[in-house]
Amino acid sequence: MNQYLKAFFHRGLVFGGFGPIVTGIVLAIIAWSGVSVSLSALEILVMVISTYLLAFVHAGASVFNQIEHWHISKSLACHFASLYTVYSLCYLVNAWIPFHLTAFLIFSGVFAVSYLIVWLAVYISIKRISEKLNKKIEQ
Amino acid sequence: MKFTLHIVPDGEEEVIVYAKEKSALCEKIRQTCEEFSLEIVGYGEKEAVKLSAEEIVCFTVETGKVWARTEKEIYAVKQRLYVLEEMLGEGFVKINQSCLARISAIRKFEYSFSCALKVVFKNGYTDYVSRRCIKTVKERVGIV
Repeated sequence: MNQYLKAFFHRGLVFGGFGPIVTGIVLAIIAWSGVSVSLSALEILVMVISTYLLAFVHAGASVFNQIEHWHISKSLACHFASLYTVYSLCYLVNAWIPFHLTAFLIFSGVFAVSYLIVWLAVYISIKRISEKLNKKIEQ
Repeated sequence: MKFTLHIVPDGEEEVIVYAKEKSALCEKIRQTCEEFSLEIVGYGEKEAVKLSAEEIVCFTVETGKVWARTEKEIYAVKQRLYVLEEMLGEGFVKINQSCLARISAIRKFEYSFSCALKVVFKNGYTDYVSRRCIKTVKERVGIV
């Protein structure tokens, strides 16, 4: 098996379980805050499977940034596209956003802006660390 | 501080430190001596060679085996990565789950738009620092 595909599945399997755990914690917080939460068995099953897949893809997608022979734009595009697809599907199947074009466009905009903010924060942090490490090893 | 070097071609090599108290420098000298004394057997295609820690650029895990990468060669080694990490001490640092790097063999760190921190070794080999290992790398290189 391709080493990157293997790494994708490995990371996905390691972190996939966090999806349903986080969902459970969020539901518990909502319930504790006094909001009535009523879900059918099927809805719970869909939620568990979809959030597992979300966490699986989210963790596995980090492999795209490490494929040496890919151009950075391709790695970033694949990373963004995979996360956008899995988040959109997860939000839609769980009805966390209404099945409506306007709502979906707002979700897409918020997702893109959030992605950009997180990317910028990580990029600036890695740049600073790299500069500090280089300064130290040059001494 | 005074430094004296006696060249004794036939004698056993030994480093003796006279210090007023234990210091970071004493510890550094002790570690360096230990690293120099360590020998790891590397298995090439036809021969087995003794490798000193100073010859090794990094250890990597590929195809289920541990490999020692030197300036020009790659040798299989029998020890597991975590055993080597314990054996080799402060001069080496784990940069990801599959790579144990000799700090002094690192040429530079590179960052990219993909937000990955890459290590470029003096022999040209490159590998990535995993997010999990960044803190340890920073500590070992001495920026924390």
